[in-house]
Amino acid sequence: MIPKKNPEVVWRLEKGMHEMAWGKARKDEEYEDMGVITLMIGGSIHQLNLVGAEIWTRINGVNSLKKISRDIASLFGWEEKETEEAVMQFLKGIEERGWVTLQEKAGPAGPKWQGH
Amino acid sequence: MNLSHLSSPVTVNWGITARCNFECSHCFSRLDISPELSGEEALRVVDILAGHNVMFVNYGTGEPLLREDLFPLTEYAVSCGLKATMNSNGSLISRETAGRIRRAGFHSVGISIDSADAKTHDAFRRMQGSFDMAVGAARFLKEEGVPLSISSVICRVNHRDFPALVSMAKGLGAHTIDLHNFKCSGMGGLNRENFDLSPPEWKAFYEAAIPMRRAEKGIEIAFDDPIMSLLGEEESGKLVAGSVCGKLSLYIRPDGEITPCGFIPVPIGHILKDDLGKVWNESRLLAHLRGKAAAGKCAGCGKFSSCLGGCPARSYAVHGAYDAPDPHCWADE
Ligand code: SF4
Repeated sequence: MIPKKNPEVVWRLEKGMHEMAWGKARKDEEYEDMGVITLMIGGSIHQLNLVGAEIWTRINGVNSLKKISRDIASLFGWEEKETEEAVMQFLKGIEERGWVTLQEKAGPAGPKWQGH
Repeated sequence: MNLSHLSSPVTVNWGITARCNFECSHCFSRLDISPELSGEEALRVVDILAGHNVMFVNYGTGEPLLREDLFPLTEYAVSCGLKATMNSNGSLISRETAGRIRRAGFHSVGISIDSADAKTHDAFRRMQGSFDMAVGAARFLKEEGVPLSISSVICRVNHRDFPALVSMAKGLGAHTIDLHNFKCSGMGGLNRENFDLSPPEWKAFYEAAIPMRRAEKGIEIAFDDPIMSLLGEEESGKLVAGSVCGKLSLYIRPDGEITPCGFIPVPIGHILKDDLGKVWNESRLLAHLRGKAAAGKCAGCGKFSSCLGGCPARSYAVHGAYDAPDPHCWADE
């Protein structure tokens, strides 16, 4: 399965928050409530925490669920099978919100986000 | 999750000019005589906004299309990664201009239409023929493939007829209709008696508009007002309590002064003279607005945690205090 971002989602990495959240994660402190990515679609604004952000930034219409899950498992030192289930759940959740589409195979690349 | 402190505003509303070819009855900027930034200064503003990862820049205040460098400025902003939008009265948008707007890369353009009835719109905008020009502009934009929204100021002339406005916006192919509540700043302050609704009327408006927004599928009906908390309408996807001004957005006046929003005429810095990050993180006024204290009837109100006393611009305009209860609030009325 290959997730692809909805090009209408406008997003940014929150300066400083990404490093700060990683600093906390490395010290085994709570980081789950820190907004690392801010994202807007259809006039609504949302934030993703560190894990969500690491998944989101790997979604490019080419990386598969397996590849993303493997990366996340190795980044956070988690077990691969459980991580894949958690990533799948996250992707299904954001698919329902219309932030990504989930395809069986890599399709033609969508318009590239022109952000900074 | 709750909003973590943002590194910079998500949206900057930028009054790129105070000049306008209209003199609308409610306009907050008709009394603004500030000079505007030069073309070179405006490009520097874009660099600053892009450098601070601002996501959206929304041009407004006077009529943006009167600014001669609007298109090159927008092309530059878009090339820097900003999503550019504008609000226009539509009078200067011919088919050719609509094409130019598309080529400049506008993310969306909002056209002001305040009534589905041409006479009512023209009277409110104090400009004969303005309705036809606005509808024409909307059609040209649509034909050119520019994402279109319709912007309406809810007030005495349209608060019962807004469903007709929604139908009209849908017919024009708008993706969104923004229903802004009347603000008593600038001309709106001078004309408040003629146009503002009473608190029970605001309640009746939201009681009608909220279910309509939920049920409507063909167009997004957008409105935002902290006092809707009184109707149990705690917005999902809003992330902040109370007003979004100073929490998600800032305003830049034509002369470059930064204020929390267009309706709070209190400068907290200058976009070219002060560091935007410092203003965003250290302004005492922004800190005050983000952590408002409950005053008056708000102190005993069970909705304060989500409403935060309502719109501080309205409180400031009417009571001269940001913390005073919102003058539109119907609690205890
Ligand atoms: S009383 Fe104050 S806190 Fe309660 S709804 Fe009204 S403005 Fe908001």
